[in-house]
Amino acid sequence: MLKLFLWLRYLRKKKIVLLSIAAVALSVSLLIVVASLFTGFIDAFEQSAVETLGDVVLAAPSPFKFAKYELLVERLEQISAVEAASAVLSAPGLLHVGKGDVHAVEVWGIDPARRARVTAYKSFLVRQKASPGEPSFEVMDSPEKTGGFVGIGVLAEPDEMTDEYDFAAVEKMLGSPAVLTTGSLIEDKGPSSGGSGRRFKRRTIPFAIADVVFTGVYEVDRSVAYLPIEQLQQTLHRDEGGPVADRIQIKLAPDVDVEVALAEIRGVWQVFAMKELGWGAYLANDADIETAKQMQSRWVFELKKQMGLLLVIFGVVSFSVVVLIFCIFYLIVRLKQKDIAITKSCGAASSSVAWVFVGFGACVGITGSCIGVVLGYIITKNINVIEDWIRIAFGLKLWKSSVYMFSKIPNQVNWDMALRIALLAIGAAIVGALIPALVAARTRPVEILRYE
Amino acid sequence: MHWAQSVLALRSRMYKIILAIRYLIRCRITYFAVLAVALCVWIVVIVMTVMTGLVGGYKLKNHKFVGDCVVGTKSLVGFAYYEDFIKMLEDTDYVEGVSPVIKSYALAGQPGTGQDIRLEMIGVDPARHSQATGFAETLHYHVDDVSKVFEPREDGGLSGCVIGIDRILERDSNGRYTAGPYPADIEVAVSCFPLTSRGALVKATTGLVNTKTFYYSDHSRTGLARVDSSVIYLPFEQAQLLCGMGGVPKRVNAIHIKFKPGVRLQEGCQDVSSLWRMFKQAKTDESQSYLLDAVTVQSWRVHRRMFIAAMEKEQAMLTVMFGFVGITTVFIVFVVFYMIVSHKRKDIGILKSVGVSNANIVQLFSGFAFLIGVLGSSIGTVAGWLFLLKINRIETFLFERFGFQLWDRVIFFIGDIPNEVEFKVLAVIVLSAIGACLLGALVPSLQAASLRPAETLQVGQL
Repeated sequence: MLKLFLWLRYLRKKKIVLLSIAAVALSVSLLIVVASLFTGFIDAFEQSAVETLGDVVLAAPSPFKFAKYELLVERLEQISAVEAASAVLSAPGLLHVGKGDVHAVEVWGIDPARRARVTAYKSFLVRQKASPGEPSFEVMDSPEKTGGFVGIGVLAEPDEMTDEYDFAAVEKMLGSPAVLTTGSLIEDKGPSSGGSGRRFKRRTIPFAIADVVFTGVYEVDRSVAYLPIEQLQQTLHRDEGGPVADRIQIKLAPDVDVEVALAEIRGVWQVFAMKELGWGAYLANDADIETAKQMQSRWVFELKKQMGLLLVIFGVVSFSVVVLIFCIFYLIVRLKQKDIAITKSCGAASSSVAWVFVGFGACVGITGSCIGVVLGYIITKNINVIEDWIRIAFGLKLWKSSVYMFSKIPNQVNWDMALRIALLAIGAAIVGALIPALVAARTRPVEILRYE
Repeated sequence: MHWAQSVLALRSRMYKIILAIRYLIRCRITYFAVLAVALCVWIVVIVMTVMTGLVGGYKLKNHKFVGDCVVGTKSLVGFAYYEDFIKMLEDTDYVEGVSPVIKSYALAGQPGTGQDIRLEMIGVDPARHSQATGFAETLHYHVDDVSKVFEPREDGGLSGCVIGIDRILERDSNGRYTAGPYPADIEVAVSCFPLTSRGALVKATTGLVNTKTFYYSDHSRTGLARVDSSVIYLPFEQAQLLCGMGGVPKRVNAIHIKFKPGVRLQEGCQDVSSLWRMFKQAKTDESQSYLLDAVTVQSWRVHRRMFIAAMEKEQAMLTVMFGFVGITTVFIVFVVFYMIVSHKRKDIGILKSVGVSNANIVQLFSGFAFLIGVLGSSIGTVAGWLFLLKINRIETFLFERFGFQLWDRVIFFIGDIPNEVEFKVLAVIVLSAIGACLLGALVPSLQAASLRPAETLQVGQL
């Protein structure tokens, strides 16, 4: 009770203590904001991969394609771990979308209805996201035309200041003609093959823009075009004699053990590759079967490393808080020598006196951490608003999707890190209070209270 | 007389210096203020040196990539009459090198794999481009004779091409590439859309695309990730034909300019801009003059601002964050000075009783704060400098021993960690640290100045 009384008294009377609380709060909030923004970015990075690619991607070894993908999709969907699967055929291409407007793109041959079952694809379509039914390549008012989807970044650039697309202008381009050129290796025994028996053959595919894809991931939006998989297959691989794909994107059933699911998918693939495709075990094993998150793991590792580094740097600077608390507590101990001496002369043990200051240090740490956590939460949650204020006030756009991939700053608070940072701050406050507490404990009443 | 006045003035100031040094030595609590300042300066010197080095290096690479000034258009259609404008530029006394450039997107048969890749195609005259930019320095096999960069080793009747290094070689964990003694015998089939001056496809009724095969003759390493992984350089005339720009009048997408030494960037760009306006005026009646409307004159900084601004903003944000954390140092100095003023009330009382003014008391404590700032900054700077000297060795040791790298060199285009301390950056850090100390000491100094000797020296207080 005495300790609590003294803590409250010091907190009320010694305004200088507020400085240490402010310093703790400042450091805690800064570290929480940094950690939350980084982890939010990493989570968004991983989530965007899942939303774009599905949970698991089965990719044929480059440059092979595989036939009978419909059978493989059917077999995969039969296993309990898989909810849905969709085939993709990809190729690089040049896309001509208007006068003098050419873009280098990756063209994906897809079945939009199937793809929508594997990823959040329908929600990305500017025209069809609100329409009932499954998405399709059908061109509005011209169903006879070959339709295709184009990433929003191919048709427009986000505004320099607001980083937002002009959707009205983009929607006007629906139905516009576009021409895609791509190429494939074809069998050729002539001299142009250079003796290899194969040479490149350029192919062009004219189509109408049936919809625009806005995933919110800048690189995807500016560099991917989508065509019907059959159309792309007929253009690029007409010699194959049947449908081909180069990867299968898979959505896992809820609450499935990922490792078990991967093993099951691998099993289905190997049987399919060896029996249906006639591939050898080596080639079949060479296929990549990974989760979308595993595919990003190298980048995620680097991002986590950079986050750790930044936290260490700010942690080192925040070490000043320990020094500050030491100084303030030392000041209090020196100024309150008489109080301490009276307390000890009334029978309080040295350890009790030390605990008063250690406990007070913990109080400062807890109060500062709580304020810091609240401050960190408010800043993180409103980071997009703050960024917008900075843009309005200073004309400075800090966050651009062209640089940081996403159109919005991820604003989820990392509570796990927040708890660790708060605990560390409390620990630091206790460390800072330790030496002054020992000095207080060693105070000798007879020296302080004598009258001379 | 003058000398005597100087001595008197010095003696009148001496007590401030003596007291400040005395407080610094005697009051051990000030060591903590020095420690806090040193810690902050140490970490800020390290981080800002590395960051400044990275940003500076990145800017230099961008500068070398485009030259000093770019006259160009974003449209892939390009603009005509460039030869006349180049002649005008060459006649001026401030231009050292001029290079017309074709830029477009191309689809290329990937070297060695037989697969297609998307590339950014740049058509240049290698000798001219090297006079205007740092192109020659980026080459591997033809660094000494850039004019022959498009001459392949094998004379198969094909022209050579220069490919971005990351498209042709693998980077190891130290960020190094291993190139053979000669370029490998690789054919690259390059295709692109030829466009009319109105932007339409040239071959609307035939094959739509132009394709031409080249031999890989060299690779280019600019140190810019996006460039080295996506660029293919082709001979100027052939690139012009591939893009449908070789008709009459011929077109280009950009003109890269290098100014003579001593010409200031802004002034040079303004001169080029004036010249362009005159040129555009003179060409008003030409058939393709409408293409000139989309052409802009930009300095390299403006031309590459999308890439550079991002790094500069990150550096600025880091500085702001350090500023926030640095507030703690101001608090520490404040607390230390508050303690010292509390303990030295008698000293202050005596000083004031012998006629020292309030301003002098403030000066005394400000001088003391300045001393703490200088000492802390010096310790922090020396410690930071020593750490930076060894930073690459430390990283190598950590990598060899624990597999830890600050930046994975396979992913990031970073060589050695920059460790050259820039005087300007250092000066800003040290001045900020001293400023923080002065700020922290301000309120206690004013408190000290407001003390009344009659109260601090009365017997009850003694």
